[in-house]
Amino acid sequence: MAPSLFSSIILTLATLQSPGTRLTYRVRVLEHAAVAPRLLASGAVSGAVDTDMRLTLRTDTTEVEAVFQVTPTGDTVNLGAEFFTRRQVGRSRRGLPLWEEDTYRRVVRLGWSDTARIYPFGAPPPPSASSRGNGKDVRGMWVELILERLFTGGEGRPAEEFSLVDTTRVFRLETVVRPRRARVVLNLVRGDTVSAPRGFDLVPDEPARIVQLVLGGRATTLVVALARPDPPRNERERALALDAEVVCLRVSPPDASEPLGQVCGRLNNVARQLPLPTGDTLAATFAWPGPR
Amino acid sequence: MVDSREGAGGGSAGHEHWLMQIDAELDGELSLVERAALAKHLVTCGHCAGARASQLEVRVALARAAGNPHAFAVPRPAIRAGTLMLWVVVALGAGLLAGWMANQRWGGPGGGGSLEETRGTIVVQ
Repeated sequence: MAPSLFSSIILTLATLQSPGTRLTYRVRVLEHAAVAPRLLASGAVSGAVDTDMRLTLRTDTTEVEAVFQVTPTGDTVNLGAEFFTRRQVGRSRRGLPLWEEDTYRRVVRLGWSDTARIYPFGAPPPPSASSRGNGKDVRGMWVELILERLFTGGEGRPAEEFSLVDTTRVFRLETVVRPRRARVVLNLVRGDTVSAPRGFDLVPDEPARIVQLVLGGRATTLVVALARPDPPRNERERALALDAEVVCLRVSPPDASEPLGQVCGRLNNVARQLPLPTGDTLAATFAWPGPR
Repeated sequence: MVDSREGAGGGSAGHEHWLMQIDAELDGELSLVERAALAKHLVTCGHCAGARASQLEVRVALARAAGNPHAFAVPRPAIRAGTLMLWVVVALGAGLLAGWMANQRWGGPGGGGSLEETRGTIVVQ
């Protein structure tokens, strides 16, 4: 028991740390039809082994969002899915829709290149009912997911491809990547004057770094550190990892007294501002780092 | 002018009056004058005399059914306060229980199948 557990851990670590492994989630959305299953959409999400996939399926009365993540264990892989479901259960007395929200988790173990069938709207209907399905019963819809791994020379960027065959349905496929590092560009702003940009590659939760920005001949020294955001406040954000690509920059004075503040944002090249006690404004821009 | 009610064959309206008088007499609600008038009428009206006999037979049957065939008057059903309260409590309890069960089964939005039936599942092929 112990040696197998040990070897399993070693294999997992080796898989996770190997720089050349690329994970691909290959997805097909299908539904029952008279002769053969009808393809509604297909796509793929790929990236490093820690890449997650967010899947959204929506009908008039039900919304299913799920984040899939994998944990390789040797020749098999544990597929975990965090579901967030909203179902319309009726209308209020004032005619407004009433929704119930449900969060749950599913975990299965499968082999690489095996097919997992996901029934997002519940267990499949019995064969007799499905054979006469009219194509609008959402429980007759399922998602086929195949996990593939490819050994590549270097770590590539995450990629998405998606093809919607039935445009009357709402499906979405997204890559969820938690940045291991972020490109942070800092400017000091005072009125119409802006300091020269200073860019750094920062790693979340690493020790703070001292930065000096010069504006109008006056140097301002700050201590900056990148951190993960606070835990999500609502269940949907937590389940769907909506803040996966959000980072926070903590800014302090060099004497390590009271922190000056914190700026949080996605890696989307949008400048976020933090007023400083000196009257200047610190503008921080977060972006994905360049390839190494 | 002759009061039709007092005639021997005073018509249906007259009979109805005398039938009510018979009912009241058997209940002991007539004055002496009214009882005398009724007795006088019964002598001349075979229909009303028959009706009185029938009324008496019905009352005897009711008294027997109540378990007292030698009663002087038809025993009236008595409802005790305790019994009434018990039935009120039982009815309220049954109503509450039925309401709770109906609410569990059909009440509120989102009823129908179990929660697990509506949740997504993953099947490895």
